[in-house]
Amino acid sequence: MKKPNQRGPVSSASLGALAARAAEALKQQRFKEAVELFKPMIRQDPRPEWKQSLAEAYRGRARALAAKKMFKEAAMVVENTLGSDGTLADPVFYLHCLIRDGQHQKAAAHVRQYVGTESTLPAEERAILEDLAAALLVAVPLGPDPARAPSAEQARWLELAAASREALAAWVAGASAQEVERQLNRISLRSAFRPIRVLLKCLITMPQDADRSRQLLEAIPPGSPFFAFREAVAAAVLAERALDADGWHRLTPVQQAFVAQTRNLPGTAVQFLARSAEAARSGPSALFGFLFKQPDLPQAEVRSACLNLLPQMPDRLSQFEKHFGPLPDFERHRIQALAAEGRGDWAKAERFWRAAVAATSVDDGDDRQAKLSRGVILRHLAQLAAKHPEIEGDGDGFLDDPVISYLERSCQADPDYVAGVLELIGHYRADSRLKDWHRLVDEAVQRFPDNSALLLQATESAMARKAYKKAAGFAHRLLKIDPINSGVRRQMIELQVAHARKQMRAGRLELAAKELAAAAEWERPDVPSALLRIAQALVELRAGQDAQAQERLRAGVALAGSGVAGWFRAALEGELMKLTGSSAGLLRQELARERETPPTKEAVMAIVSALGQSDTGENKRAVASLLLGMRAWLLQAAVIDWLPAEFQALAEILARFDAFDVLAEYARTARRREPGNPIWRFHEIVARTRGNTTRLTMRETEELGRMVDAAVNREDFRAANRIERFLSGGGDAPLRRRRSAAALLDTLDDDDVPELFAAMLEGMPKGATDSVRGLVREFGRDGAVAHMVEQARATPGGPGMPDPVLRELCQAVVAMAMDGSQPRQTPTARRSRL
Amino acid sequence: MRDPFTVLGVDEAADDAEIRRRYLALVRDFPPDRAPERFREYRAAYEALSDERKRLEMTLLGTNTIALSRLCTAALLAASPGSSRASKQAVAALLAEGIMRTVTDKRPPG
Repeated sequence: MKKPNQRGPVSSASLGALAARAAEALKQQRFKEAVELFKPMIRQDPRPEWKQSLAEAYRGRARALAAKKMFKEAAMVVENTLGSDGTLADPVFYLHCLIRDGQHQKAAAHVRQYVGTESTLPAEERAILEDLAAALLVAVPLGPDPARAPSAEQARWLELAAASREALAAWVAGASAQEVERQLNRISLRSAFRPIRVLLKCLITMPQDADRSRQLLEAIPPGSPFFAFREAVAAAVLAERALDADGWHRLTPVQQAFVAQTRNLPGTAVQFLARSAEAARSGPSALFGFLFKQPDLPQAEVRSACLNLLPQMPDRLSQFEKHFGPLPDFERHRIQALAAEGRGDWAKAERFWRAAVAATSVDDGDDRQAKLSRGVILRHLAQLAAKHPEIEGDGDGFLDDPVISYLERSCQADPDYVAGVLELIGHYRADSRLKDWHRLVDEAVQRFPDNSALLLQATESAMARKAYKKAAGFAHRLLKIDPINSGVRRQMIELQVAHARKQMRAGRLELAAKELAAAAEWERPDVPSALLRIAQALVELRAGQDAQAQERLRAGVALAGSGVAGWFRAALEGELMKLTGSSAGLLRQELARERETPPTKEAVMAIVSALGQSDTGENKRAVASLLLGMRAWLLQAAVIDWLPAEFQALAEILARFDAFDVLAEYARTARRREPGNPIWRFHEIVARTRGNTTRLTMRETEELGRMVDAAVNREDFRAANRIERFLSGGGDAPLRRRRSAAALLDTLDDDDVPELFAAMLEGMPKGATDSVRGLVREFGRDGAVAHMVEQARATPGGPGMPDPVLRELCQAVVAMAMDGSQPRQTPTARRSRL
Repeated sequence: MRDPFTVLGVDEAADDAEIRRRYLALVRDFPPDRAPERFREYRAAYEALSDERKRLEMTLLGTNTIALSRLCTAALLAASPGSSRASKQAVAALLAEGIMRTVTDKRPPG
């Protein structure tokens, strides 16, 4: 900026223009420019408002400089605001700048003007100023003479400062406790110098009364300028309880020096503490080297510290063993495994962890600690396998899920760990390994009969097997342990209501009522069940007990959320019970009336939750017809800003009941709102293809493939699994397993494939050939292959196998059965497989 | 999180009872209402070590600095609390550090 001409007078016209420019510069926070403009204006016409604006510009400029850590310059700029009374416009800020610049002497002189005087400063600023003033007046050695203070209050401040300095000096000089105490009595407990009295009191009474000292020290708050002193005194006086290695490293070097002197720490100890901290900061190698050269320290501890550093630098392993003796195989493998993890070399990490497990089996056999160690490492491998596809596992079949196989082995090694068993149960369920799920639950519930989490699993498992009496037995046992377990109560109510529905559908009203009475026994009076109320009401309606039924129905609807959500719940129950006539009419009528209210997120999610119950799937047609009536209302909710998790739940339900047009509208609207989120595009594709992958275009397939890769890269395995599941036609195989299979096939040479097939065919059971021949006779060769592909897909390994590979395998089986020959394999055939 | 063995100041071989005893002693000294951050740290460390398998996980899968911490503690135990006085310079530096910390921890007013 060009500086305005400062020599000659400025005309009134140009003065006006300058004022406008200066005001604009100030408004735009161009403080430097504003200062340069205001100065000549004030020289010519010292208007108070311009002077005020200039001071404001100076303050702004000073703050800008302080923001750049130019505290010296900032303080100089603030000095320009010095008034005729000797005060500054911004005294606390000025004090900050001086202290940050290390000008404590000047800061003390500055602050002296403000203490013990009437001030217009806000209370908070005044408190800060007084605290800092007390600390500065104690810290700065050349204190001003109290006799020359302009007021009595200021003189009192200076006297207290002098008393504080003298008390400190007496303690430093080694004066007796009584002498220091005498000095301390000169410091008022109600003054800003109280912390000095507290600190010295603790120092002269230590170590006799640690509790009293702690209590006294707590009076110095963290924001106080004496707080660093308080921390050092606490470390010095509170003995081991406050000063262990951890406490020592929390202290700053200045505090450490104070503590070392006060506790009379030997020089060698201070040196060790300082050098070990420095070495630790320089990295593991420096620390390892430093510790190695400490012959006077306990060597067992030095060994342990160095061993701990080895995973970060496994190349020092031989040096370590040379110095401390050879490590057991288990330790060596453990170090290498951790080192491989540090490098992100997951395959190697897996190899070393497995070697460590093998070593502990050999070395320690049945020792409890060894078993627990094996369990811990195998669980760790399962966790790694869930994240890193490079970890292949050691299952018998190449399609086995490594997460599950490692968890299984972990449970074998440490069968008493309930959390591990529950985790494995969760994986079996997620992977649809129903037989394994039920088997493990049965075993576990016998082993841990009083574990509520396992009893809940046992209840669910029995319900899934339709062993209702068994489920009720487990539920009763669970409620004895955990009487308010709402989960199991809800499940048992749902189970009994499901039975009642069946009886209703069969027209057996009495039996339905009996089931519902049994359901009521599971209900807690303080947690009434909407489902139970509605079901009871519908049975009563059908039995003609209208008055009682209506009342109960409305109570149930209210519990289910009233409005559309509540009446939908009732109408859905009516559909599931196959209610007809006036009762069904009443439900539909009420629902239609409520649909006049626009949808809310809560109402839509309540409907989604109602549709998610197991019975709805078995009565898909009836539910789909009910949902069709909701179409217009649901479409209005497309504009709601859905969270991805909510949308996912919603989309699954809409797809399950073929409401693809509604799903398409929801996905389109969400995509318009947030075009960058691929999940909306995925749902759009699902809706367009009506959930059928054979309707996918090549472009859409590629797009979905890219979405899977992107999801895997950002470690969103849930999204990746979801898309993969859709791509594989809705199978349940998790992403990990398919990736393993694909990765394995990728690693095979063309020549290996026929050999692999041949090996698998040789393992076919006797009689299998005849079955295949029978299929060929019935369906023809291609038809038999298609039939076998379908069957293979239903096997545990099927969903993980890419379609072309399954087809090729089945063709090979047919060829083997019919011609006794192995399939021919061409390089191009293999390339096209994946 | 820092090494929980070091935070609680217990040995890797400490059992459940010893760990609990140490945790309760620390919480008594640094209760949540007076030292919320320290309490959170002690609580997290206790939760990480409160079970035998968790401790084993920490020892086998983590990198703990307890041995180094023990060496430092041994050095500190050579001290005799309260037997000496600090120098004038050490006190002055401590006061200066406190003053500086107050202004650097707080934003300048205004």
